[in-house]
Amino acid sequence: MKSYVALARSSYMAAMMYRFSFSFTLIGNLLYIALLYYLWGSIYRDVETIRGMSFNQAFVYVALAGAIFTMVKTWADWEISYHIRSGAIIMDLIKPLDFQLYALSRTVGFLFFNVTMIALPSALVLFLLFGANIEVGVGLLFLPAALVLAFLVSFAIDYIIGLTSFYTESIWGISTTKEIITTLLSGALVPLQFFPDVAQRLLRFLPFQAIYHVPLTVLTSPDLGVKDCAALLGTQAAWVLILFVLGRFFFTRASRVLTVSGG
Amino acid sequence: MADPVVEVEHLSKHFRVLNRREGLWGATRDLFSGDYKTVRAVDDISFDIHAGEMVGYIGPNGAGKSTTIKMMTGVLKPSGGRLLVDGNAPYANRQRNAQGIGVVFGQRTQLWWDLPVIESFKILKEIYRVDNEMYKNHLGLFNELVNLQALYATPVRKLSLGQRMLCDITASFLHSPRIFFLDEPSIGLDVSVKNKIRSVIRELNQAQRTTIILTTHDLGDVEALCQRIIIIDQGKIIYDGPIGKVTALFGAYRTLKVQIHNYREDTSHQLQTGLEVRFGGDGAIPVEHTEAGWTDITVNQDQVPLLEVLHFVMETFPVKDVRIVEISMENVVQQVYEGALA
Repeated sequence: MKSYVALARSSYMAAMMYRFSFSFTLIGNLLYIALLYYLWGSIYRDVETIRGMSFNQAFVYVALAGAIFTMVKTWADWEISYHIRSGAIIMDLIKPLDFQLYALSRTVGFLFFNVTMIALPSALVLFLLFGANIEVGVGLLFLPAALVLAFLVSFAIDYIIGLTSFYTESIWGISTTKEIITTLLSGALVPLQFFPDVAQRLLRFLPFQAIYHVPLTVLTSPDLGVKDCAALLGTQAAWVLILFVLGRFFFTRASRVLTVSGG
Repeated sequence: MADPVVEVEHLSKHFRVLNRREGLWGATRDLFSGDYKTVRAVDDISFDIHAGEMVGYIGPNGAGKSTTIKMMTGVLKPSGGRLLVDGNAPYANRQRNAQGIGVVFGQRTQLWWDLPVIESFKILKEIYRVDNEMYKNHLGLFNELVNLQALYATPVRKLSLGQRMLCDITASFLHSPRIFFLDEPSIGLDVSVKNKIRSVIRELNQAQRTTIILTTHDLGDVEALCQRIIIIDQGKIIYDGPIGKVTALFGAYRTLKVQIHNYREDTSHQLQTGLEVRFGGDGAIPVEHTEAGWTDITVNQDQVPLLEVLHFVMETFPVKDVRIVEISMENVVQQVYEGALA
């Protein structure tokens, strides 16, 4: 365990080495929030609520999705594929570490960096500058756990996508496809409440809503009870379990076909 | 003799690779191609290595050296045969195997690129669960050997190649591995750094009787360090035995490189015949025209004095430039095929 903590620490420190790069990510995020403010403002110009959501709720939902994006974007798929193409994968595999946990601990370091340096400041600006205020219920207490689980689901998906590079070397196509599917079906772009009822029901059976929709719903729906929240987090936890086991199974298969480039 | 620390029996590794076609159209057709060929990177090899040995595992580029190392480190799964490293099957028990071995790849680093050197050591200390005392002792040893302390605060990306290599060796040795793999440790380094690295490796072998397996195509490394040498070519072992015989062989060989003025196509043939007439033997002094106007003459000094050959060439041909180099890996392999070690 201590070794994985040391790894997480190292990637946090590595991120800190490039201290100016994060300020640009932060600025980009704030511009994105401004854009969303005017976009959703015009959608709501003549109506009070759409599908039971007020402007404030919808705006906070999508704007916070932007902040969550920087948290749950693990880049684990790109990192694994980069290591495959450069041959650096061999340095990962000669360490006495579990490959999945190794990949996870590296991203956890970046997670801490992104939360403290980008996601929190973005959320602060959202509430202070844009005057966004929402009613919160008991769900707020569940938010931290929901965010952690969202991160784990996102990582587990990225890890599986990353492993496909053992077969294909490059994952540009598959990773971009995953990105689009996740963005659309998770509620990152448009609140899931806006989808047709059939689609909403179908999406409940996919892992993507566990990444954005669950934490955002927990935060923006004041009328949710403890039971409802627990049920939502339960589905997240189930997806974490399923996807982690799938990833481990996939690694044993994929490592058999590994070829290492160079040297 | 004690049980071997590395047991290799009929080990093979095959890769299936697509037969790629040339050009834009060829690349497009490859998208739908099912035309695979099997490459036998390692083809039925067997050997044992005992504790404390320093073995040179050599061969030309693409011979299968690295593939063997990758199997021994548990990165690649063997296609066939038996392989035990310190009693473990490396691929099946990758993590356990990794704890007992140290690996340095000359062309890669296991240090954290963006962080100061000392941070990498600290992380590796945690990963390999090295206790404080051992950690201190090791860094102390390396400080004595190469004054490493001066580099602690430097980020890895700012190290020179030689400095990075020394740091990488230190890093791979923190957990006192029983078996140490070095893959091309001196590639691209100048002579003084090479010597430093060789003396460090020798020290590590002696201090803890660490078994060292050295892959290289620099014969100098092997000559300086190893008692035993295994030569591999095209996936097969073509020599396994004491280094003495091999040094005797390639120690005596030199390649005389000459650049001849007004070189014509039949010049090397003329040279070959001329040498045969003068020194006798058919093909005993092979002549080969190589890159950019250089003609290589391989001379066995035990049979023919190099100076006499040089003298003869200078007298018979208008020579522009001359170089004398030690025999290359490819040449050694060729000599072994021709029965030089039989």
